[in-house]
Amino acid sequence: MDSVAQRLSVVGAGAALELRGVTRLFGALAALTDVTITVRPGERRAVLGSNGAGKTTLFNCITGDFPPSSGTIRFFGEDVTHFPPYERIRRGLRRTYQISALFPGLTVQDNVYLACRGVSRGRFSFLRPGQNDALMHATDSLVQAVHLSAVKDQRVAELAHGQQRQLEIALALAGAPRFVLFDEPAAGLSPTERAELVEILTSLPAHIGYIIIEHDMDVALRVVESVTMMHNGRIFKEGLPEEIQSDPEVQELYLGGGHE
Amino acid sequence: MSVTHDARVHARPATAQRPAVRGWPDINNPAAWIVAAILLIMPLIANGFFLIEIFATTLILGTIALSLMFLAGYGGMVSLMQLTIAGFCAYMVAVFGASGNANISLGWPWWLAVPMALTLATIFGTLGGALAVRTEGIYTIMITLAIGAAFYYFTNQNWAIFNGHTGINNVSTPHFWGVNWRSDIPFYYIVLAVAALCYFAVDYIARAPFGLALQGVRDNPRRMAALGFNVNAHRVAAYAVASFIAGLAGVLQVWNYRQISPGTVSVGACIDVLIIAIVGGIARPVGPYIGALVFVLLRTFALDFLVKIGLDGNRFRLLIGLGFLAIVFWSSDGVIGLWQRWRQSQRPRTDRPSGGPGHG
Amino acid sequence: MTRFVERHPAWALIVIIAIAVMLWLIFAVWPPGLEEAIGRKRVFLNALFNGITLGGLYFLVASGFTLIFGLMRNVNLAHGSLYLFGGYVGYAISASTGSWILSFIVAFILTALVGVLLQVLVFRRMEGQDLRQTMVTIGLSIVFADLMLWACGGDFYQIQTPSWLIGPIELPLLTAIKSSGEPVYLRYPLVRLVILLASVIIGVAMWLALNRTRIGMIIRAGVDDRDILAATGVRIQIVFVLVFALGAGLAGIAGVVGGTFQSLSPGEDIRFLLASLVVVIVGGMGSIPGAALGALIIGLAEQLGSVYIPTYAIVVTFLIMVLVLAVRPQGLLARR
Repeated sequence: MDSVAQRLSVVGAGAALELRGVTRLFGALAALTDVTITVRPGERRAVLGSNGAGKTTLFNCITGDFPPSSGTIRFFGEDVTHFPPYERIRRGLRRTYQISALFPGLTVQDNVYLACRGVSRGRFSFLRPGQNDALMHATDSLVQAVHLSAVKDQRVAELAHGQQRQLEIALALAGAPRFVLFDEPAAGLSPTERAELVEILTSLPAHIGYIIIEHDMDVALRVVESVTMMHNGRIFKEGLPEEIQSDPEVQELYLGGGHE
Repeated sequence: MSVTHDARVHARPATAQRPAVRGWPDINNPAAWIVAAILLIMPLIANGFFLIEIFATTLILGTIALSLMFLAGYGGMVSLMQLTIAGFCAYMVAVFGASGNANISLGWPWWLAVPMALTLATIFGTLGGALAVRTEGIYTIMITLAIGAAFYYFTNQNWAIFNGHTGINNVSTPHFWGVNWRSDIPFYYIVLAVAALCYFAVDYIARAPFGLALQGVRDNPRRMAALGFNVNAHRVAAYAVASFIAGLAGVLQVWNYRQISPGTVSVGACIDVLIIAIVGGIARPVGPYIGALVFVLLRTFALDFLVKIGLDGNRFRLLIGLGFLAIVFWSSDGVIGLWQRWRQSQRPRTDRPSGGPGHG
Repeated sequence: MTRFVERHPAWALIVIIAIAVMLWLIFAVWPPGLEEAIGRKRVFLNALFNGITLGGLYFLVASGFTLIFGLMRNVNLAHGSLYLFGGYVGYAISASTGSWILSFIVAFILTALVGVLLQVLVFRRMEGQDLRQTMVTIGLSIVFADLMLWACGGDFYQIQTPSWLIGPIELPLLTAIKSSGEPVYLRYPLVRLVILLASVIIGVAMWLALNRTRIGMIIRAGVDDRDILAATGVRIQIVFVLVFALGAGLAGIAGVVGGTFQSLSPGEDIRFLLASLVVVIVGGMGSIPGAALGALIIGLAEQLGSVYIPTYAIVVTFLIMVLVLAVRPQGLLARR
């Protein structure tokens, strides 16, 4: 591990996210092997790697969608390894999905409203929200933030792909996120939409850190300050974006060899 | 996973045609007002037989099917034990209240027996639901059917509480304020009031946070967990709500027939509730009532009808089964779906967007 | 097995003790105190053997159900109808020709044919829509039930046991020792033992077919991961049709068995559908060994329950299901 990586890995209570020796097996196949990562609060990091490198599995372990087979995960100092996903979310963790995971039968507004409701009280409320409901206002401003106000009463199934990706991001920003995992947010977006995405990511409040999985280097390297390379379920290299870009091994493995 | 997908396909038109305004449904729909008015003045139109055997029975069955619609249409959980819960509640009314079987019934007044029965039925259904949500999707049908069948065989075997296959007879019905509430007209209004209450409650909850979250669970449980929802707790809570509704219908049912026996909670009857909900349309609360009306009309008149066209009058079940198959084959949204498709084909250029992109 | 012992030593101990107690109950001469407490040993042994043979019958029904479910995710709620249909066919054949063996063959072929028709005409059109398929099977079960009621009426039928199987045989199991010191051995109907043997053979044959033949491997791979099937370029439809035919045919055979040592009447379809559901839920969905274990457990629970706690026998069965769902929702022997 070189000095930069050491500088970035602030070990201890100050970490937003701390993975120690996380391994995930699917039957005999190890999708993740002994992954140790530390991310500071407010840090923005890209995870790069070819398909099957274990990036999405990493996210699934962090959020609890699939719990890790071994290892520990700490979120702001708290051991969340055995927490169900919703407990982690309520503590300020958020994620987006590589393939939009929305509620196609509901409207845009209802989708975002659910996201806001999920991290606040009254999840089981039998009372419809009134006109002055605080969450309705929060919903409206989130919808506006991702430029979907014009379609807020449309069902999600009717939205264009780019709009669905934006909604995907809106769902992850509801409430008071402290750390967000973005799984290929730019997949399938047009250049204009990518620019909008970069704008949304860079304009996030400074205290919100994130990890982004992104194949598009233009997007990924513009919105992060550190990079983790993964290969075959292991951490391969960590460093600053420039370092990773110029690293011959990385180029050999990933940037040079054509990727999807 | 895939059952929720299926259910989503089923349920999609419901939210599609719902106006975005969070107000009462159908308030601008003249047809709804006409139906409401007819239901209210029904005792002036229909005699005792029609009033009770057709309309009250329809409303009771429809309410049981409504509880299934709530679970399946909004929650993506197809429960075959809704009739069992209603039957359990009916048994409890008979056991705690007064009946001809004095050695079993405790003889409580109805205003004590009914809340007790409703509470127990809700607990019963919630526990069953908690069991069913241990697994996902299509397994729900198997587990709830097993629960329903186990209850049926149990009532047959058990004499201490359920009085075996004879059941409990001459269950007493409420008399107060000088009115016999089981006489035709008052009873019809009680049934109508309960059915209306359940209908509007379900419709209201569908747009409340709980109902929205339930639809979210139906569409994508994994994402719901990633939004901070405890998905299984939501599912169990939905079972609790549905059990209460089914329980209410069960109370009305035992008052209607004044007796309850294992035949009422048979496996066939459990499946009938599913048929009613599917035939009516599982996407919105009015569907189960339409399905129940079709079912009750068929059950009552199929014999005469079949004989009239020269067939064996006993083939009512065959008719039901074939009709159900036809609906499953041709319409994912029951007769409402068929009706809407027909109306859309009559008005080719409607203002309503049709469907949107095809579902995946 | 050793892994199970390592991981759950307490459970393993309980299982071993239970098996030891069972063996002692079967082979030992009961001391008088025990006979006073829970009745005669003959009653117990009879209930035990009835449970095991009923388990054999349940296995025949449930193995087809679980196979179809495992491969096609099709919850065939018309499975009970296939059972009853097979039974009626078997009755008709054995009544007209007098041949018990022939009734099995014809019942298997005809129910398998119904299965093929269902798969080709109905389920192939709605592949992947398991809820809709289930709805269809519900509709079919109603239609079949009414058609069979129409054709056969509401009477009870019993298939004639062939003469060479009639009567009990003596098993080398002591039930008691007479005061004269003469041992009394258990006498048990031969036909039930033959049927049990047959279901064990069928079970082993299925297991071998699934584990040792190419088509079996394909089916097993399909149970584990259906995408694999498409990827291997197998004619998936043929596999589906074969499995459906086999599953339905097994239900038909079970119908003849059930018609021989129980009886056939409307309502039996629901009873055996329920039995299949519970067996498969307990044993693990899609697993043949699971179906065998589940069938044994449920058969024993039902028979022992009906002897020792008659009013609550069904509750025992049900509680087993609840327990399994609570501890291991995927079933005892399911993979996932």
